[in-house]
Formats: sequence, structure tokens, C-alpha cells
Amino acid sequence: MSLLARLTDGVPARSLWGLGLLLVLLLVAPALLGKYGLSVLILVLYFAYVGQAWNIMMGFAGQLSLGHALYAGVGGYIAAGLFFHYGIGPWAGVFVAVLAASVAGSIVGYLGFRFSLAGVYFALLTIAFSEFTRIAFDHWGWVGGSGGLFLKVDATVDIPNLRGGPLLFYYVILALAVGAFVVCRVLLESRLGRYWLAIREDPEAAQAVGVPVLRCKMIAVVISAAMTSLAGVWNAFYYNNLFPETAFAMGRSIEFTLAPIIGGLGTLFGPIVGAVVLTGLGEIFTDLSELFHVSGLKQIFYGLALLVIVMYRPAGVWPWLAERLGFAEKRR
Amino acid sequence: MTGRNTFTRRRLGRASFGGAALAGATLLGAPLPLRQAFAQGAPANLKVGLLLPTSGLQAQIGQACRRGADVANDVFTDMKLPVKLEIVNYDTETKPDVARTQAEKAIDAGCHILVGAFDSGQTIAIAQVCEQRGVPLVVNIAAAPQITEQGYKFVVRNFPTAPMLITGALALHKEIFKVSGKTPKTAVLMSVNDTFGTAMMNGIKALFPKLDMPYELVDTISYDAAAKDLSVEVAKAKATKAELLLPVSRLNDAKLLVQEMVKQRWEPMGVLNPGAPGLYEQDFLKTMGKYGEFMISNVPWLDPKSAMTASLEKRHAAKFPNDQLDLNGGFTFEGILIAAQAWLAAKSTKPGDLMEALRKIKIDQHIMVGGPIQFDSKGQNVNIKATAVENLKRKPTVVMPLEAAAAPLVFPMPAWNDKRRT
Repeated sequence: MSLLARLTDGVPARSLWGLGLLLVLLLVAPALLGKYGLSVLILVLYFAYVGQAWNIMMGFAGQLSLGHALYAGVGGYIAAGLFFHYGIGPWAGVFVAVLAASVAGSIVGYLGFRFSLAGVYFALLTIAFSEFTRIAFDHWGWVGGSGGLFLKVDATVDIPNLRGGPLLFYYVILALAVGAFVVCRVLLESRLGRYWLAIREDPEAAQAVGVPVLRCKMIAVVISAAMTSLAGVWNAFYYNNLFPETAFAMGRSIEFTLAPIIGGLGTLFGPIVGAVVLTGLGEIFTDLSELFHVSGLKQIFYGLALLVIVMYRPAGVWPWLAERLGFAEKRR
Repeated sequence: MTGRNTFTRRRLGRASFGGAALAGATLLGAPLPLRQAFAQGAPANLKVGLLLPTSGLQAQIGQACRRGADVANDVFTDMKLPVKLEIVNYDTETKPDVARTQAEKAIDAGCHILVGAFDSGQTIAIAQVCEQRGVPLVVNIAAAPQITEQGYKFVVRNFPTAPMLITGALALHKEIFKVSGKTPKTAVLMSVNDTFGTAMMNGIKALFPKLDMPYELVDTISYDAAAKDLSVEVAKAKATKAELLLPVSRLNDAKLLVQEMVKQRWEPMGVLNPGAPGLYEQDFLKTMGKYGEFMISNVPWLDPKSAMTASLEKRHAAKFPNDQLDLNGGFTFEGILIAAQAWLAAKSTKPGDLMEALRKIKIDQHIMVGGPIQFDSKGQNVNIKATAVENLKRKPTVVMPLEAAAAPLVFPMPAWNDKRRT
């Protein structure tokens, strides 16, 4: 069976058409939306992408990471630092960034999985690594320390150096999001994906039937870290400044987890739907805050909305939505 | 069919005449840019997008900034400045990504000029949008030198850079010692280790040898921004026997620091803040009471001898009776003032014309201590002066430079149990 046939096996035709339509819409979106709409859509795709990367760890392999900002921060800083100091463009720097994040992920993963840290204990380990990396970067002169690293801003479009306006960054993040979606589908359909699901459901039982648990978990953390670091590189070149206290912030790690949790953990569309819901709600509540001239109103409503979604759709919005739209995958 | 709303030729004539007369009177009475706008069919009002972190971690300061802008039109009326701006508020939520999106939203909503955004990271995110879309940005507060070193064509900053803050502050120290006749021989620098604190600490260490300071820096102690206890750090600082404390703090650690100094009975000759927040803030003054008195902050401050400052203070006190007007509100007001003056000079709301006016602007009457507001080729106002603001009777009061002083300097600082502390 060809790869394409394997990827689409069991997917209803309606879903495939829907996917195609969505992709076409996303490709032409810049022509339909204003600059503000485009900037919102960029955020949606960014959170969908990092959510997809985090979903590999938690949704597929069942390992709770609350320190994913570590990988985005390391990736972003390495690529930005190479560009800033040596003029090495991000297309080359990204390899070093991915390597560094993968090494960081391997260290966190090995320490956690080798010593059987699970659940909240593993989550604490990820937070600890993110925190002490922040402190280290605060005092590392090469990356500007806590004073931050600033990339030169240029209005001209320079694709080899990832310099340009929002349109360039939109298509880059769109490519990343589509790529992540396909990669996740391939992984889920592979033997590794099955192993991950087995580990997620019951690690002891998986080990008992011969699943190489440590190796599978390590692969999950490395892939997830590598993918997250790509988002970090994109983020560094889009915003052109990096500060340790925001790049490695706990709040940022939490942001990465929200879209897949709200959309549906372990599902392919969960992070996308979650990112749309969260960013959309965010913008609506921002408008309401501005309308009523009450600062912070957004955060209150946002929190309440999340509470309602988590209470009434504990498996996430996407499984419920897919059922109603007839997009649910046929059981094989 | 006849009805009350039916127009007759007579009524139409009256209405037309009345309307024309009213329009004419309005036009003649309108400020010059308004008249120009009417004449050109351009938008009648300058629409200013004010981007501030009014929620999130920096909410308190962002709201203090916003209060300065909220009374701007009233102050313009008091000062007979012929403008009334439409100021639209946008919350950056203390996040650069939101700041960027909000900047796009403000420009899409028709804002002709943006003002903001208190924090360097958020300001840079907005600056990029402004640069790409050719809309001027007036930076109210943000100290990272890179903002005006990037070659932006649409950004001006009315706030000193970190090196300017430090140089101004340390220069004032010499003046304080000269006026008081007391010169400490040693000092200890205590700094929070966040972005701002570390930048300030490194700046002080770098500039200190060049400025020929009369005291020796005997130790530098940094502490975590989230510290809940500074007893060890204060004990260490006390053990140096330094005669002067230079704290680079935020609000909460400033409180912890002073509480611990009182507890440990450490009474240096003075506490001179070399350009950081904390010591002059309303919450610090309220919480620390008499122990917050006589602390000196070397920061830019509102000029108590300016008529515009008097108007701003009056309007601010009337509208926000429970809130203190400080440099955050002051610089944000000046950001709005700069936008207004640019509009008056440009006689147009076109971004290019406004930017051209900003480059040439010279505003003599403003509120912060210093020379006229004008921008160098990089877009930086280099005429802002540091002041010595001493906490006197629970109020930050300008005591230096002498030409702007509202009260005499008290230095050395009285002991913790001195009767002057009430």
C-alpha cells in the first residue's frame, strides 16, 4: 500500500474533501484577510503547530511535559545567535537548533524515563530543566544575557535569511503546521505510533508484551523537542527579540499545552481546533474588554470558557465536533 | 400627506442656512489641523492607538501609564492647545505576540499614530509592524538601546536608554553630595536579576570607572526577582559596612529590602536608587509608611515648575483621586502630547506627514524635567534629564536639579527611629 493510501486509509471521503478545502482556504487566506486577520491566523497556526509537537509527548506517548518552552527557547536562541554573531542564516542554523533541542530533550527524557519518573514527577523535572536553562541564559553573554538578544529588523524580503513581512512568516508557519500534521499522521499509523498508544494506556502491560518502552519514550521526547525547536526558530525570527524570562517562561509552556488539551488530546485535529477556539475566543474577549473598557476582562472570560469546555467536553472539542460533522474515522 | 417631519422649501432653506452657519462657525473656530482636514476632506480627528500592558504581569504599571493618557485631552484644553484626539486603548496583555496583533488591529482600525508600550520586548514587536506598515510609533517607555539603534524609520522614543538613565543618575549623585556636604566613601549595589536589573547592573559596572565617582563600589549583590526573603542579601550588604546603598529593584523586592534593613538596623548614609522603579511607587510609599521616607530615586520625573504639569496633576487628581501620578503616567501623557504636536505641525493625518513632523518637532512646553522634546537622527530624545526624587511626606518630590526642585534635599537619610520620620 502506498504512503498516501496508508495515510488516508479509513478516513471518510467527506473528511478528505474538508481537509482539501481547508488547505486551499489557508493558502488563499492572506488575499482574503486584512493584516490584522492575518496576524491572528499566524498565531492560530503557531499554536496549532506547537500543540501538535507537544501532543506527540502527551497525547500519543502519555508523558506530561510542562517545560516545552525549553526546546522552543533553545532552538530560537541557537538559530538567532548564529545569525546575529556569524551571519549564519536560519535555514542552516535550524539544524544546529534542532540538534541542541534534541540533546536537551534526550537529557530530560533519559533522566525521567530511566529512573521511571512518571506523571507529575516527570512534569516537575521538565519544569526544573526549563527554569535552570532560563537562569543559565540569563547569565550567558553570547545570547545577550537577561538584557535580551535582538535581531536586526529589515523591511526588505530576504528569504534565505528569513527576513521579511508577515506574509513570508505566514507561509512558513503554514508549511510547518501542514508538515507537522502529516508527520503526526505517519507516526500514528506506524508501529511506533501503536507502541506509543500502548505505553500511554498502560506502560507496564506494554512492557510485558515486549514494547521497548524506554526507547519509544525517548523517540517521542526527541521528535517532540525537535519539532518544538523549529517553532522557536520561527518565533525568534518573526519577533526579532528574545528574553530568557519570556522565552523559557512557565506561562509559555502552559500556552503550548492548551490547544491540544482543549481540542482533544491524542487526536490529529485537536491542536488545530484548540488553537482556533482559543485564539478566536481570545480575540472575542479582547474586543469585549475594549468595548466595556475593563482591563483583564478577557482573562476572566477566557478562564471561564476554558472551564466550561473542560467540564462539558473533557475529551476535547474535536472528538465531539467530528462525531457531529460526520468526520469521525471509520473503525477498522 | 403632511406630517411633522415633512420638509418644506422654507424649512429646507432655514435648515440649510442654519447648518451652513453652524458648519462655518465650527470651521472658523476649529484648530488649524481641523480646518485643514475639513478643507481636504481628510479625517477630522487624529486617531491615536495607545498600546499598553493593562492586564497580565505588568498590568499595574500599564494602567498607571494609561491614566496619564486618559486626562490628556483635558490638559490640552487647559493649556489651550487646539486639539482633541481620539485615543483608542489596546491591551498588550504583557505579551509581545499580543502586542504585535494589537498593533495590526489598531492600524487596521484607522489609527494614524501609535503610542506605547512600556516594555522593550512588546515595543519592538509593535515597532516592526509600524515599520512594515509605515505608521509612526511614539515610544512612551522602553529602555533597551536597540530600539533606536535598529535604523527604524517610523519610530521615535521619548524615554532615556538604560545607559542614559545610569549616566544621568550617577552624575546627580555627585551633585547630591556637593549640596549636602556629605560624601560617602563606599557603596554597595544590590540588584534584582531580571532583564532590566541585569542590564542596569552591567551598565553601572561598565560606566562606573569612566564617571570618576567619589565612592568605591565595594560589592555587587544580585538576587532573584521572585525572592520572598532578602535577609541573607541584606546581611551581606550590611557586612560590607558600605555607607551608601544603590538598589536596582522592582516594587515587591524594594519593600522586602527596606523591611529587612529596618529589621537588621542597617542605617547607611543614604539609599540612592540609580534609575530603577520601586522606591517611588505609590504602593511602596503606602506599605512602608515612615520607613519609605527619605529614599532617593534618580529617575526622570515630572517638572513641578511646569504649568502643564500643574494642569496634569490637577486633572489626574480629579479623575483618579486614589492614584499617584508618576513617571509612567507622565511619559505616556508626553507620548500623546508628541502625537498632538506632530499633528498640529503636519496639518495632516497621513503617516508620512506625521513622521516628517516628528523628525523636526521641538516641544518647549511639556511636563518632564529636561530640555525641549526633540529627536535625533535615530529617533531618540536626548534632552531628558535625570532628577533626584526624594520621598517626603509620602510623596515623591523633586529635590534636584536645583532649578526644578520643589523641596530641599534631605541627605544623609535620618535614622529609622529619627523623629523626622512620622
